[in-house]
Amino acid sequence: MAETNEVKDHIELSTFIVGTALCGIDILQIQEINKLMDKTEVPQAPEYVTGILNLRGQIVTIIDLGKKLGLGQTKTSQDSRNIIVSGKGGEHIGLFVKKISDVVTVNPQQIEPAPSNMKGIQGDFFTGVHKSEDKLVGILDVEKILSHADDQ
Amino acid sequence: MKNNSNLTKKQSVDSSIRVAVSLLDELMNLAGELVLSRNQLLQTINSSDTRNAEAVGQRIDLITSELQEAIMLTRMQSIGNVFSKFPRVVRDLSAKLNKEIDLTIVGQDVELDKTIIEAINDPLTHLIRNSVDHGIETPEQRNKKGKPDRGNIVLKAFHEAGQVVIEISDDGQGIDGNNLVDVALQKDLITADQADSMSEKERINLILMPGFSTAPKVTDVSGRGVGMDVVKTNLDKLGGSIEIKSKVDKGSTISIKLPLTLAIIPCQIVRTGKERYAIPQANLEELLRIPAAQVKKHVECVGDAAVVRLRGNLLPLIKLSDILEIEGTYEDRQTEEQVPDRRKNIADRRSKQSPLIHFKDDESDEVELSPRDQQHRGTGERRYSAASTLNIVVVSTGAMKYGLIVDQLRDSEEIVIKPLGCHLQQCKGYAGATIMGDGQISLILDISNLAKMAGLTSFDDTEHGLAVATAEKENIRNRKNQQALFTFRSSLEENFAVPLNQVERIEKVKSNDVEVMGCKRVMQYRDGSLPLLSIDDVAMVQPLAEQEELLVIVFTIKEHPIGLLATGPVDAVEIAFEIDKTTLKQQGIMGSTIINNQTTMLIDMEELVEVFRPEWMVEEVVTGIEEPGQAEVSL
Repeated sequence: MAETNEVKDHIELSTFIVGTALCGIDILQIQEINKLMDKTEVPQAPEYVTGILNLRGQIVTIIDLGKKLGLGQTKTSQDSRNIIVSGKGGEHIGLFVKKISDVVTVNPQQIEPAPSNMKGIQGDFFTGVHKSEDKLVGILDVEKILSHADDQ
Repeated sequence: MKNNSNLTKKQSVDSSIRVAVSLLDELMNLAGELVLSRNQLLQTINSSDTRNAEAVGQRIDLITSELQEAIMLTRMQSIGNVFSKFPRVVRDLSAKLNKEIDLTIVGQDVELDKTIIEAINDPLTHLIRNSVDHGIETPEQRNKKGKPDRGNIVLKAFHEAGQVVIEISDDGQGIDGNNLVDVALQKDLITADQADSMSEKERINLILMPGFSTAPKVTDVSGRGVGMDVVKTNLDKLGGSIEIKSKVDKGSTISIKLPLTLAIIPCQIVRTGKERYAIPQANLEELLRIPAAQVKKHVECVGDAAVVRLRGNLLPLIKLSDILEIEGTYEDRQTEEQVPDRRKNIADRRSKQSPLIHFKDDESDEVELSPRDQQHRGTGERRYSAASTLNIVVVSTGAMKYGLIVDQLRDSEEIVIKPLGCHLQQCKGYAGATIMGDGQISLILDISNLAKMAGLTSFDDTEHGLAVATAEKENIRNRKNQQALFTFRSSLEENFAVPLNQVERIEKVKSNDVEVMGCKRVMQYRDGSLPLLSIDDVAMVQPLAEQEELLVIVFTIKEHPIGLLATGPVDAVEIAFEIDKTTLKQQGIMGSTIINNQTTMLIDMEELVEVFRPEWMVEEVVTGIEEPGQAEVSL
């Protein structure tokens, strides 16, 4: 019981940069963050899938979050990372992002709904926006990102 | 794999398993060992003692493989779990049908992967019910046929060649192939023409067709016509096969062959583009490698589709890189680099064209060259270099067979199938993925879906295929007027030819292997002496060239072997020719013709021999007359 109260009190957001935007997801949804770049390409896969990865004997599909959000392709660099989250049915999926940023603790009450002028693909994937002193963190809906029903 | 995911779904419904305690103890023990070795490893890493690290590495290697084996064993279940319910099935059913049947079960201890055990339950039940209902006759019928009242069904499981075989045999009435054909004809499942050309085995296999039933009326046991077809599809999914043997009034035997486990399958590894792909061995028929120089000869174009003629059959070719829309590569022999392959067509543009489409290719010849291609032409003719060798994997799925062109053939490996994530479910070309020895992932190709993606239809059925086949026949008929000739030389300048079908063998000999005995040239050949002659012995031509290496063309004339001394270069050509019977006609030479712009004398072997050994040509009646000095009477 105490735990559930705590969760309501504050959420820890792991933030990262996709394209130029600062995004965050609940840290409890993240399995691990790694920088394995030894991906196997899958011809004919959806455009936003950059490849598949061998994660300790498990095959993990890597999604380019930049492409999925319509923020442009993420380039492999020193800073780029895979955020491994678990999707439906315990399947692990990697989100490929440009750079990892801090973990911020936020009060759920401080999260505001996504601005209404955020349209299109991006609007669909953000559940809200957190305002810190100097920056805005867009909070992503992991479930929605991982769902593949909306493949154009 | 699709069927695999079905199986895993089933697993989640019934997700407990019975494992022997001794096996669990072993696992526990191994886990303990593993932890100890890990501690050791961590210690050695800290102390950076390389020699010790090696030992620890070996230990971990050993424990891992033992652990793997033990874990695989937990998945193995004895087939007795399935068999144990059959005595009851047989007893109940035979009581209902007023039959007396004994069921004998052999090999209950044979172990199979849990998923397979679950999946064969239904097919086996069906087969047992079939045997009881259709196989074994009633006691009265059996009495009439002079068989004992009690029928026998034997259910047997055993290992054979890395597979598990389950046999269900009964001593009942057997399957009457002719009866099956009649029923199939009635139901329009086959045509009368097909029926006539069917072998006994094919007739019996009719029973596996969907919608087939011989039962006159539908009962609660049988007659719905879905049974055997479902059995076969279930087995196909498991990678198993079914074989039916039957003799009327003697009984039938149905054997099912199953793989030991579904988790590990042997695969052929190929490379196309940057990645490696795995092709399940079950789909693999053979590997073909057509050297660059022969691409022209073997690969032909039908319209814009490439085919290869494989032992008289046309095999459609698909390029894997085209279906997957990736850039194919070839290995540069000098630099050993992977270089993008810019060839658009599989067949060489100079390949033979099927006569059907001859009129088309005049234009198409020129169009293909883009300016970029032309730049690359500069560096010599790659089409004849080793790099443009075609690597073809001949695969089959059900009735369809095709050749998949890949960039490189690799090893065959045992791989573990892992499902692909949900985002990649829409990629139909893959059956799953696997992790290779080096930790990289390669995709497993779904052969039947690849064929669909390439738009392959069973080639024989299409009208186009028919047209091509007719054109091909025409071609062959034209060729009948042609004759295959074997060309060679005797002196250095003159060309000779003999019909290829007269030539028995061609031997390469050293000139000092030719012995001169009794004014005749002979050679040791197959434990005997082979008489030799050269053309200039008989005909007025230039003498045999004096070379160190000679060719001996072996003929058999009137049952006597004889060798004709000749020199190279030799060749075999297939041409339609007309013999000029006047200009160069003389004894032993039937005439001349032009082959490859060279005047060639055609040899009449019989005439040559007639002059050389007149006695061979004489009828047997007179063989008694022997001339002294001839080779035959030298003893």
